[in-house]
Amino acid sequence: MNLEYTIFIDYAPTILLGFWLTLKIVVCAIAMGIPLGLFLALGRRSNFVFLSFLSTSFIEIFRNTPFIIQVFLFYYVLPFYGLRLSAEYVGILALAAFGSAYFAEIIRAGIDAVPKGQLESARAIGMTDWQSMKNIILPQTLSIVIPPLTNQTLTLIKESAILSTITVHELTMTGLMVQGETFRPFEVFIMVALLYWALNETIATIMRRFEKNINKNRNTGPTNNSSAILKQNENTR
Amino acid sequence: MTLNFLELKGLHKKFGDITALNNVSLNVSKGEVIFIIGPSGCGKSTLLRAVNWLTPPDKGEVWLEGDIVGSLSSKLTIEESKLLNSFRAKMGMVFQQFNVWPHLNALENVVRAQMVVAKRNKAESEVKALKILDEVGLSDKINEWPDNLSGGQKQRLAIARSLAMDPILMLLDEPTSALDPELVGEVLSVLRRLVNNGMTMLIVTHELGFASKFGDRIVFMDGGEIIEEGIPEKILKTPKTQRLKMFLEKLNITSFKQ
Repeated sequence: MNLEYTIFIDYAPTILLGFWLTLKIVVCAIAMGIPLGLFLALGRRSNFVFLSFLSTSFIEIFRNTPFIIQVFLFYYVLPFYGLRLSAEYVGILALAAFGSAYFAEIIRAGIDAVPKGQLESARAIGMTDWQSMKNIILPQTLSIVIPPLTNQTLTLIKESAILSTITVHELTMTGLMVQGETFRPFEVFIMVALLYWALNETIATIMRRFEKNINKNRNTGPTNNSSAILKQNENTR
Repeated sequence: MTLNFLELKGLHKKFGDITALNNVSLNVSKGEVIFIIGPSGCGKSTLLRAVNWLTPPDKGEVWLEGDIVGSLSSKLTIEESKLLNSFRAKMGMVFQQFNVWPHLNALENVVRAQMVVAKRNKAESEVKALKILDEVGLSDKINEWPDNLSGGQKQRLAIARSLAMDPILMLLDEPTSALDPELVGEVLSVLRRLVNNGMTMLIVTHELGFASKFGDRIVFMDGGEIIEEGIPEKILKTPKTQRLKMFLEKLNITSFKQ
């Protein structure tokens, strides 16, 4: 098969524009999704039955339905309730909601992986529930959850391709359009795939470094647990 | 009648079908060192954990210096749980598994609760932490991470963490049981210092030698009840009940085997 090299040059600006939108959407979705995930994780563990019920329902609904269906629902149903948003914003919301359900489960597993005695010793010295969480439990959760959170982030970035179905001009949509103009699927989708790969590889590398930084002072610690959670997380997909 | 320093009144606790505490009452005077002994599962750890409401009793009351700890009902109001936290800060607790905080170095382990709970500033907390770490013999380990410490050092760090809160009562739940035999001594010597300083202590232990030497009183529990209590001499040499006799015999047999 002959490669048409000029396509790489001629259409690079168009494709990069799509990539730029993907990047913006994904960054927004993650910036919303991780805090929401933390909130849901704490909510699910909460003693307040109502909060726990709401968080659990949210997580289970978004974890157990296809993302593409969620996207359609957000896109077609929200306007009925007077919420008219552009496709990009709908995409961000859908991606954040979907991601947060997974983030929540990862964070919850991470909190549960911290030995029970840690919370007890914090409570026994007079810390409130929230002080114990903030000072003792969550910092230890962080090093446990970084690998599976990274994993989920990469998945989310790839899932963002589905937003092309609701007319968001992100990377995949742009690729489809360029291929419609050029009839050169191989060149176009190689470009698209390379850009997804580059973005994910960059994130993975940064997170690996971050993880090492956190654990560098500690000989053992919960790093052994994290691979178990990672596996568990993959199995639940 | 003088006010009791610590008063436990009719404590009950059930875990499912198992009765961990059955109508346990105990009075403790200031400066008293009480050792709680008994076979495993007899409720001695539950008793200790009921004192600071880490395991809230189903029924019964805990009074410290004339104030009620926790609540008269088993559910806490917001006001009561605030008060409970301030009581807990005054009651240092030491666990069998140390439970030092692995994400903080030794100094920070002792500093953190001072800042968060006692609202001291950083400088003040650090000065205090350094002084206490020196007292427990860890002044050369202040920047060390808990994972790099031995069991004995971890337990001394845990004791230091509690002492930094200026406790008026220490609750120690088998503080030496998880330690290698050669590391027990260093923890006991820290505890000995506390005894000499007049700290009021409740200690769950199997170290009968230590208990007989430093205890003002020994409490023997079995089946969630206090079976016998008294001065160490009396409890260990002339046990009245059959259950205590059997317990002491078993301990002697195992120590012979060692």
